[in-house]
Amino acid sequence: MTSITRRILLGSALALGLAGAAAAEFPERQITLVIPFAAGGSTDVVGRIVADRMSQELGQQIVVQNVGGAGGSLGAQQVANAEPDGYTILMGTVATHALNPLILKQKPYDPVADFAPVSLLVLVPNVLAVHPDVPAQTVQELIDLAKAEPLAYASSGNGTPLHLSGELFKAMADVEIDHIPYKGSGPALTDVLGNQVPIIFDNLPSASGHISSGKLRALGVTTAERAPSFPDVPAIAETLPGYETYSWNALFAPAGTPPEVIEALAAAAQATMADPAVVERMGEFSATVVASTPAELGEHVTAEMAKWEPVVRDANVSMD
Amino acid sequence: MDLISNLAMGFGVASSLANLMFCLIGVLLGTLIGVLPGIGATATIAMLLPITFQLEPVSSLIMLAGIYYGAQYGGSTTAILINMPGESSSAVTAIDGYQMARKGRAGTALATAALGSFFAGSVATFLVAIFAPPLTTIALKFGAAEYFSLMVMGLVMSVALAHGSVLKALAMVVLGLLLGMVGTDVYTGAPRFTMGMNQFADGLNFVAVAVGVFGIAEILRNLEDEHDRQVMTRNITRLFPNRDEFRQMIGPVLRGTGIGSVLGILPGGGAILASFASYTIEKKVSKNPEEFGKGALAGVAGPESANNAGAQTSFIPLLTLGIPANPVMALMIGAMIIQGIVPGPNVVSEQPQLFWGIIASMWIGNLMLVVLNLPLIGLWVKLLTVPYYVLFPIIMAMCSIGVYSVNSNPYDLFAVAFFGLLGYVLSKLRCEPAPLLLGFVLGPLLEENLRRAMILSRGDPTTFVTRPISATLLLLSLAILVLVFLPQIRKRRDEVFTESDA
Repeated sequence: MTSITRRILLGSALALGLAGAAAAEFPERQITLVIPFAAGGSTDVVGRIVADRMSQELGQQIVVQNVGGAGGSLGAQQVANAEPDGYTILMGTVATHALNPLILKQKPYDPVADFAPVSLLVLVPNVLAVHPDVPAQTVQELIDLAKAEPLAYASSGNGTPLHLSGELFKAMADVEIDHIPYKGSGPALTDVLGNQVPIIFDNLPSASGHISSGKLRALGVTTAERAPSFPDVPAIAETLPGYETYSWNALFAPAGTPPEVIEALAAAAQATMADPAVVERMGEFSATVVASTPAELGEHVTAEMAKWEPVVRDANVSMD
Repeated sequence: MDLISNLAMGFGVASSLANLMFCLIGVLLGTLIGVLPGIGATATIAMLLPITFQLEPVSSLIMLAGIYYGAQYGGSTTAILINMPGESSSAVTAIDGYQMARKGRAGTALATAALGSFFAGSVATFLVAIFAPPLTTIALKFGAAEYFSLMVMGLVMSVALAHGSVLKALAMVVLGLLLGMVGTDVYTGAPRFTMGMNQFADGLNFVAVAVGVFGIAEILRNLEDEHDRQVMTRNITRLFPNRDEFRQMIGPVLRGTGIGSVLGILPGGGAILASFASYTIEKKVSKNPEEFGKGALAGVAGPESANNAGAQTSFIPLLTLGIPANPVMALMIGAMIIQGIVPGPNVVSEQPQLFWGIIASMWIGNLMLVVLNLPLIGLWVKLLTVPYYVLFPIIMAMCSIGVYSVNSNPYDLFAVAFFGLLGYVLSKLRCEPAPLLLGFVLGPLLEENLRRAMILSRGDPTTFVTRPISATLLLLSLAILVLVFLPQIRKRRDEVFTESDA
């Protein structure tokens, strides 16, 4: 063993010790978790389950504050501008940390420079589903149908992960399908259940009840692998190799938050996500637990932005 | 007799001691937040969601549902007493309810609202129990074209809300439509009238606009002359309606219940039309339409029944489809997911205890509400004797807290201040705020569905008349328009004829 490695090991041991000391001090008062969407949505549900369990880990209450608006940008902006002390953290998503910054012409914040990543908590699959009257039984048959006649798909809104999942699908399958945006998943689902619109891209959690009851037919999940909660539903990637989209939830603190505070938050988040009760809850919700380190989340954000950049550009989605 | 055994099971679940208690807590809280101006059911349920983690799923949903319909009862109290509607449905109650209060009939108005709501709530609950699955299929037949035509009908009706000049009412509807356009365009993502502030990206907050144009404007107006208010308390002779008033109530309550039950099932804006529609119809069928806007009993009884019936039947799409009809229902879905229940069509078969328990609890909750609220009327009316210098600061503080708590957005508070001033100016110009509010609520729905219908029909406008439900609604709108304008046209023609005779 060289002296350099030994020095690194010593250094990291020292750093760990420091982090431990700081962690003992860090949460001196309650922490605010900003959820950048309205209460009741999937990010809100994940956030509240995590906040509840993480409060026990940290020994301080985590208070959930819903700051909805502008597709999550308002809440994210609020945390970006907050005091970097770890007492204000954000439940970030693929929308706040990859899509909005790519889509918005006036960028209210920088997803990389303005935030200190804490932990990537869960991945949530999306699903491509159709009304049962649609003749297509598989992704391939849907592609053939779309080439033969005009079709439309519903999504939860312009510039949302679901809209872009649809756009990526259209680009990779080389088909033209009209996009019908709604204000949220609920009204979009309603119209597909009533066969007003034949196709939908939705979060798997919000569509799962309709899929298992047969009111919607799932053609494929958007993750690279099949979702454990629906093993019979193929991945779209089985037909269109390389197709992969999903929503995700991750904790972020404002940039400049002391590293030992980040470590303490990440440790608490990881312990939370290791709790079997939480894992089970997330599983019911079709979400896969990741519980990454801060560095892994940082890489994830960069990778997501790189992945979505061409999709956003080709779909010509932009907002002022 | 599945229904009876199911209902028996439901009542068994709902009448356990714990569930009765949660139902009571829910309706109490609901009444309380309904009475506090500005604080709505959405904010309260959002704040209480974490607490429901620890409860049984049935208990938590019973409590949340109680808050929701409890707030509908409570909301009419502030609308009647201080002209401060907390949600779109009680905006209509404020029109005649507040005028009744000004004439010293606050007690009668409150009792009418409570009794009408109770009747409507009970009937609608039974409708939910019996017809939930078939009604759901009707709701699903409503696509973009049908919603567009429904909104057209709503806007046509809104003109009838006015009791002054039709021209001013139209102007207010148009102003409301324009205000409704603030925010992000759903289809292109372009921001409209946001003045570069992305705090307005989701549009103006309804509660902020309503509290401003009704409540704050009313406070400003009252500050002008204090003596006006003496009338309100001095003339109170009795709190409860007499036999004659009961008789006047029956028709409006029955019609309101019917309208509310039907419109409540439509997710996406159906329920908000209920109280407006009921008011329009009452005004049309009334023998004394000139009384409307000056304290007509039917103007309180009808809309209050309609909004409460709508509140109950809006549970139908939630329980049978897992689809939220309004923001409160979206929160209930969140509560279900947190409890590990997947909302959707399977809830009825997989969780019969939950489904029937909630339905039974709605009836129990309505009973509790009427028992709670009738004795409280005396207390609420005493509120009117609280001096302005105590009452107004409290109202303003409550409004501000309530508006801010929805989205933690300080710009919503600026909106309250702005719309308070606007409402004051409008009242000086004798323009009514109710049509403005209706335009504001319906405008975005009208536009969204018009454009969606056009995309779906690939640009073919005949879609609105070839789809039967849509065509029927448009024909009805035309009929209403003729009914509204015919008397005026005839009058004008008479004038013309008299002139030519002379």
